Amino acid sequence: MRKNLLAVCVLVLVVALIAGCGHPAPAATIDTATSTSPSTSITSPTEARTTAETRASRVSVTLPGDDWGYPSPFAFYSRGPGYIRMSLLFDTLTWKDQDGVVPWLAEAWTVSDDGTEWTFELASDVAWHDGERLTAEDVAFTFEYFQAHQGAFKWSWPVGKIESAEALDEETVVLNLTEAVAGAHEGLIGSLPIIPKHIWEGVDDPGKLTSEDAVIGSGPFRLLEYSKEEARYVYEANEDYFKGTPTVDELTFIRVENQALALETSTTGYASFWGREIEAVETFQNNGAYGVIDGPSFWVLQTIFNTQQPPFDDVQLRRAASHAIDRGRIVEQVTHGGAIVANLGILSPFTDWYNPDLPGYEHDPDRAKAMLEEAGATDLSLGLITTAGFAREAELVQADLEAVGIEVEVQTGDYSTIDGLLREGNFDLAINGHGGIANPAMLETPTWPAQTYDNAQYDKLYQQQAATVDEEQRRDLVWDLQEIVAEDLPVLTLYHPKMWTVYDASVLDTWFYTQGGVGFGIPISMNKLIFLP
Amino acid sequence: MRLAMNNRGAKIVQYLITVIVLLTLNFFLPRMMPGDPLSYLLGDPGADAPMLLTEEMRANLREYYGLDKPLIGQYWDYVSGLARGDLGWSIYYNASVASVIVGRLKWTLLLGGTAALIYTALGIALGAVSAWRRGSKVDIGLLLTVFSLGSWPPFFLGMVFIVFFSYRWGMFPIGGAQSAEAARLGGLVQAQDVAYHWVLPGLTLVLTYLPGIYLITRNSMLSVLGGDYVRTARSKGILESLVLLRHALPNALLPILTTVAMRFGFMIMGTMFVEVVFAYPGMGTLIYEAGAARDYPLLQGAFLVTMVFVLALNLAADLVYGWLDPRVGRLRVTA
Repeated sequence: MRKNLLAVCVLVLVVALIAGCGHPAPAATIDTATSTSPSTSITSPTEARTTAETRASRVSVTLPGDDWGYPSPFAFYSRGPGYIRMSLLFDTLTWKDQDGVVPWLAEAWTVSDDGTEWTFELASDVAWHDGERLTAEDVAFTFEYFQAHQGAFKWSWPVGKIESAEALDEETVVLNLTEAVAGAHEGLIGSLPIIPKHIWEGVDDPGKLTSEDAVIGSGPFRLLEYSKEEARYVYEANEDYFKGTPTVDELTFIRVENQALALETSTTGYASFWGREIEAVETFQNNGAYGVIDGPSFWVLQTIFNTQQPPFDDVQLRRAASHAIDRGRIVEQVTHGGAIVANLGILSPFTDWYNPDLPGYEHDPDRAKAMLEEAGATDLSLGLITTAGFAREAELVQADLEAVGIEVEVQTGDYSTIDGLLREGNFDLAINGHGGIANPAMLETPTWPAQTYDNAQYDKLYQQQAATVDEEQRRDLVWDLQEIVAEDLPVLTLYHPKMWTVYDASVLDTWFYTQGGVGFGIPISMNKLIFLP
Repeated sequence: MRLAMNNRGAKIVQYLITVIVLLTLNFFLPRMMPGDPLSYLLGDPGADAPMLLTEEMRANLREYYGLDKPLIGQYWDYVSGLARGDLGWSIYYNASVASVIVGRLKWTLLLGGTAALIYTALGIALGAVSAWRRGSKVDIGLLLTVFSLGSWPPFFLGMVFIVFFSYRWGMFPIGGAQSAEAARLGGLVQAQDVAYHWVLPGLTLVLTYLPGIYLITRNSMLSVLGGDYVRTARSKGILESLVLLRHALPNALLPILTTVAMRFGFMIMGTMFVEVVFAYPGMGTLIYEAGAARDYPLLQGAFLVTMVFVLALNLAADLVYGWLDPRVGRLRVTA
C-alpha cells in the first residue's frame, strides 16, 4: 500500500516535470530509421547531380558503431572497425572477396622469383575524390611516404620492408622490397591505402593532418561528416567510382550502446555479435525478418604461463595444469556455447593455417595430481590476473586448479593494468585475449603482450616463415610453430568465440564474411564490396 | 578597503599555488598507474575489433609520442606547452586535446547546466514551501517523494527510464545527444531534437540532485523561520508570502549557495554516470575513456578543465559570500 503511494508520488512528479519542461511530443521525433526514404528532405551537396536525379529513390543505410577515429589513413584508431571506415574512402592495389584476392587498383601484377620485386599494372581512369587522376606516381609515392613516416600511423603495414618504389609510366609501378614478405597480399599490397601525392607531398607530420584533405581518396564513398564526440560518420556514394556507383547513396554510422535493441527498433539495419551474446543471436534466428550469417572465429582467449619463474618454468607443471583445466566446461558455462574449444596452437580452425594434428591434454585431474607429485610440486600457491571481462573464466580456472591442490588467488584490473603487469613479467598466470586476425603473424609472440617466452628455435622458425613466399612451405613452418606451442605450452589456449552478423534484409542483404578476413585478416562482415553493384 | 584588497590578493595567490600543485599531480599521477598509453592503443579489444601490432611498431610509436624521453623531459614539454596555451595532442583520439575537450564540454554544460538550473530552482521552491507548511500533508508528501527519489543511484534510475520510456513505450531515444539527420538539418529541427534527447538524462540528473537542494533549503528555512525577525515581521501583519520571500529566504540563502556552488563545480564529475548510461558525449565519458586509455595528454587536459571549473566556482562563491553577507569579509580581514 505504502509502496503504491510512493510510486504514485514519483510518477506524478515525473509527469509534472516532463509536461513542465515543454519538450516536443514523441510524435515529433526525428525518424532515424533506415531503408529507403525518398521523401525526406535530407539534401547533400551532390544530390543534385543528374545521376542521382535519375534514380527512383535515395537509398540510405544506417549502421551501428562507435568512434573509431577520423578515417584518414594516419588517424583512424588501431582497431578493425577503424580500418574498415578508412577503407570506404581509400583503395588498395588488391582487395579480397568471399573467395580470396581480387585485382583492385592493380589490374595485373608480377612478382620476381625471390619475392622482392613487384610490378603492378594499374586500372586506367581512376580519379581521386577531388577530380585529379590517380596515376602510378601516386602509388610509388604512397609506398615511400609510409616507409618514411613509421610511427605516425597505428597499423601493422610492414612498410619497414620497402626499399624503393618507382613509376615506370602512368600506369606501371615497380615496388622493391628489402626481403621477401610472406603473405604480402594481406599485409601490404592488399592492405596499404593508396594516397594522393598532390595532397600529402608537403605534409611533414601526417598524423596531425585532420582537415578534409586527409580523407580525399579514390574509394567508393566520400566523407560528408564525422563527429568524434557523437561517433557519427556520414558517407555519400562516389558516383564516379571506377568499379561502378555504389548501391547505397548515403551510409551513416551512429553510436549504439545496445546493437540488438537498435536492430529491433529499425534504428540500424545490421548488428554484429560474438561469444556469449549468442542468446541475442538466437532470438533473431527465430524471426524470419532477419538474416543471420555465422562468421569465423580468429580471436583466442588464453591462459599465459610465466615461463621465466617458478613454478611454471617447468614444462611438466604447465602440462599438469593443462590436464587440470576443463576447457570444455568454460565454453559451456561461460559462453553458453558461443565459442569453440581453442586450437592448442593458437590459430583458429577457421584459418587456412590451422594444424589439426596437435597433441591434446584431456581433462584428467587425477593425472594432473600425479604429475604434480612426480615433479615434487606440492603446496603450490599462485596468482592469476585478468580483466573484469574474463572474471568468470578465471573463477573456473581457479576452481580446476584448486581441485588438484594448487591454490590460486584471482586479481582483476583494467586492461592497461594487466598489460603493464604482463609486460613487466610480474605475474604467475594470466588470462588474456589475443589477435583476432587470420594471419600467422599472431604467432610472433605467443604469450603477447608478455615477453616471457624465450625459445630461440621458435623465433628462428617464425622469422623463416615470415620470409617464405611459397604457400605450402610456409604452411609447414606455421604448423611446426603450432606444434611447439602445443607441446611446450607457453600458453594454454581456452576458446575461440564465434561471431555472427545479423541484418534486416529489407535494408541491405549483401553481407558476407571475407575469405581470411578484410585487409590483413579482419573478420568483420563490413567489406566495401557489400555496397557495390 | 586596502585591507580587503590585500585579502583578495592573498586569496588569489592561494588559488595559484593550488593550481600549480594540482598541475604537477596531474602530470605524475597518471604516469604512476600500471600500463601506458600504448597498452590500450595497441591492446586487445576482443574479437569484434581485432588488430595486431608488433613490438617494432610499439617502439616507433613511443618515439613519435615522446614517451621514450625521461619523465622530467616530458614534464618540461607539458609545462612549456601549457605556458604557450597548448594542451597537447591526444594519443588515443589523434586530435588536439583542446578540440576533443571543447567538443565534449559543450554537451556536458548543456546537459548538466540546464539540469542544475532546474533542480536548483525547483529544489529551493519546494524546500521553501515544505518548510513554510511544516508538518502538513504537502510537507510530508514532498519529504517522502524526495527521500525515495534520493535513494535511487543515478545510473539505475537512468536504466529504468531507458527500459520504460525508450524501449517499452518508444517515447524517447535510447541515448546520444542528437540524431544524425537533425544535426545536418540544423536550425529549429536540430534544437528540438537536442531537447528531446536531453529529456531522459536531464530528468535523471534533476531527480538525483533535487533532494540535496530541497533538504538543505528546507532545513535552512526552518532555522530561519524560528528567528525573532520573522516573528516580528509576521506580527506586523505583512502578507505571509512576502515574509517568506523578503525576510526568510534571503537569510536562508547562504548555506544553500554553498551547496549549489559545489554542485555546479562538480557538475563534470556529477554527470559522469548519467552520461555513460545514456551514451551522452560529455566530459564525464571522456574522462572515463581517457583514464582507461591512459591517454596522458588528454587526462591532463580534462582534469585541468575540471579543476579550473571547481576552483572558479569556489572563488565565485567566496566572492558572492562576502557580498551577500558583509560579516564574512570582515571576519577574514581581522583573522
